[in-house]
Amino acid sequence: MAKENNQAISQKPAGAMKHILSFVFMIAFTAAAFFVVISDKVPSGWVVPLLLIFAVIQVILQLFTFMHLDQKGSAFYTIFIVFGIFVAVISAVGILLM
Amino acid sequence: MGTLIVILVLVLFLAAIFTGGYNKQFQERVRKSRTWDWLTTVDHKKIGILYLMAGLVFFIIGGIEATFMRLQLFVPGNDLFVGRTFNELLTMHGTTMIFLAAMPMIFALMNAVVPLQIGARDVAFPFVNALGFWLFFSGGLLLNLSWIFGGAPDAGWTSYTGLALNQYSPGPGVDFYVLGLQIAGIGTLIGGLNFLVTVINLRAPGMTFLRLPLFTWTAFVTSGLILFAFPALTVALLMLMFDRLFGANFFDYTMGGSTVIWEHLFWIFGHPEVYIVILPAFGVMSDVISTFSKKRLFGYNSMVFATVLIGFLGFMVWVHHMFTVGLGPISNSVFAVATMAIAVPTGIKVFNWLFTMWGGEIQFKTPMLWAVGFIPTFVMGGMTGVMLALPPADFQYQDSYFVVAHFHYVLVGGTVFGLFAGIYYWWPKMFGKLLNETLGKWHFWTFLIGFHLTFFPQHFLGLFGMPRRVFTYQTNVGLEKLNELSSIGVAGMVIGTILFLINIIYTLRKGKKAKADAWELGRTLEWSIPSPPPEYNFAQTPLVRGFDALWVEKEAGNKSMTPAEPLGSIHMPSPSYIPILMSLGFFVAGFGFIVRGIPAAAIGLIIVVVSLFLRSFDYDKGYHVEPEDPEKGGKE
Ligand code: HEM
Ligand SMILES: [Cu+2]
Repeated sequence: MAKENNQAISQKPAGAMKHILSFVFMIAFTAAAFFVVISDKVPSGWVVPLLLIFAVIQVILQLFTFMHLDQKGSAFYTIFIVFGIFVAVISAVGILLM
Repeated sequence: MGTLIVILVLVLFLAAIFTGGYNKQFQERVRKSRTWDWLTTVDHKKIGILYLMAGLVFFIIGGIEATFMRLQLFVPGNDLFVGRTFNELLTMHGTTMIFLAAMPMIFALMNAVVPLQIGARDVAFPFVNALGFWLFFSGGLLLNLSWIFGGAPDAGWTSYTGLALNQYSPGPGVDFYVLGLQIAGIGTLIGGLNFLVTVINLRAPGMTFLRLPLFTWTAFVTSGLILFAFPALTVALLMLMFDRLFGANFFDYTMGGSTVIWEHLFWIFGHPEVYIVILPAFGVMSDVISTFSKKRLFGYNSMVFATVLIGFLGFMVWVHHMFTVGLGPISNSVFAVATMAIAVPTGIKVFNWLFTMWGGEIQFKTPMLWAVGFIPTFVMGGMTGVMLALPPADFQYQDSYFVVAHFHYVLVGGTVFGLFAGIYYWWPKMFGKLLNETLGKWHFWTFLIGFHLTFFPQHFLGLFGMPRRVFTYQTNVGLEKLNELSSIGVAGMVIGTILFLINIIYTLRKGKKAKADAWELGRTLEWSIPSPPPEYNFAQTPLVRGFDALWVEKEAGNKSMTPAEPLGSIHMPSPSYIPILMSLGFFVAGFGFIVRGIPAAAIGLIIVVVSLFLRSFDYDKGYHVEPEDPEKGGKE
């Protein structure tokens, strides 16, 4: 398996580039999240929304590049992830509102 | 400190064994022994048997606890088991039955049957499968050790934090609940994941999703429910652990916490959980009823649809356990409607079973008896469910014996009957011998009558105002007769269970040998291979040409399945001791946390990490076996 993957990547340098790029983005966003919390330049009301935004972007990047959601034949993963999000949202909204 | 030393010695002792501190011969002997074979097996058929045996043991323990409770309630003002002891019995009964009896027996059937029904040689992750079993077992053991180490949990199986926090339940009882369930829960979660991947990836050629036998479908949906529901329990238990062990205040309202959060999290898990245990029973019923009616299952597609719909809706109804919490009329109404909606797909299933039987050549073998007994019993439980789903009415029923009657009708009349049907049906496939029919029928009738005698009066006890979870009641308030009847009924279930155990022992000694197609009516793939199957299940992967794959071939006049591949050597995974080692690590860690011995907990976690490490650098690629040619010389 690992071997096949390596070949696929070496044949398509664009794929490797994408991985490296999103890896850099990951680190950048993580660092930014730390900065938002540590620094006193960011108004405190913004901290939580900013963190949430960073988190969402990171999750999406993570899913599409490293978890290969952009490839064909991922219908099952998509179904399960969407249902997972659905259940989580219902539960969270339920607990918050009630 | 004493406990710590004992644990240390135990760990050193085990380390000595695993690293060859004893001489080579000893190691060799251990490795060849049958016990070692069972402890390290990764074969889904053996793991199924382990699950079944462990589940039965816990079923008996839970049953003894229940019998004690009914003895206490036999007469008013009794003082056999009172106060805290009664609460402990009650909590351990519920927890044991749901998590340590029903769940493992469901996994037993899933392990024994699902790979065979889809034409696979094993589950997708045999190692994870073994790990799941050992984690469940060590969690269950830890929970039950509470009886000897300072008292069992006493806050109910729902462990509402108004009863479960340190100030309300002093002593280690609830800690055992928290850590025991956490460990067993990890095992269940990875077990569920395993079956999802197995069903998605390992189906034989031609086995499309709409040709899966219904038991496999329900196993699939149940695994999905496990995947989405158990994390809620994990989170809730973790928070409770922090509250009790490390002084956090998630649930302590005097410190700004909220006990309602626990209730939400518990029921977000808890309601799907009741569907996790009932759906496989539905699957068993569908297979059993169609086999013994000698008919194709009526409305297969609608059955699949109903299964998926029940699974989906199961996540949107949890608040029906919290109607009286005071969440407001809007929440209550929304969740009441959603709850009643579930009765629709359930009704679809009931009618499909009836239509399957209609006009069939019915044979009342023991599994079929359980299935036929199941239908009216379960319908009664569903009926009371819909009654409870009406919030204004639920304000009356809530926390009374009426609820107790409801959930025993669905859990015993549904899940346990389903499990018994499945055990009788697939026993020949698991063990190669048929359970005795006469004893089986006695088991069924005594259990059925005992069950109804016990739980039918409880509806009225509830309506007459007897609260649940109380250890006694007074004379002259009209509760004596019904309680007496209810306690007498237990005898029926006890006798039935004893007959079942006798049946097992009798069958293992001199039961009738089972043929490949043990009931001679087999419709699905598991009946196309010897009983018990060889370790590789299918010498050649079968080619599936329709729903009820074996029946299709039988109708076409073929004696066996058409193979989809030439005969060749088969790759098998090697046995491994790491699952049991890792579970031991979790067990030690859990015990350490409970006795507040952080060093012991650390040792346990170190064992876990070491096992993870060993596993990561384990380059064992398994081995190959040459299958026996089924045409010449092969069995059957
Ligand atoms: C038609 C389907 C069903 C409906 C409408 C329904 C509805 C309800 C409602 C409203 C309650 C809460 C009662 C109260 O506490 O006041 C309840 C409790 C319960 N139900 Fe059901 N139910 C259904 C099926 C099932 C099934 C299939 C199972 C399990 C196999 C089940 C197991 C339970 C359990 C264990 C409880 C009690 C939990 C506790 O408080 O300890 N129910 N049900
Ligand atoms: Cu429920």
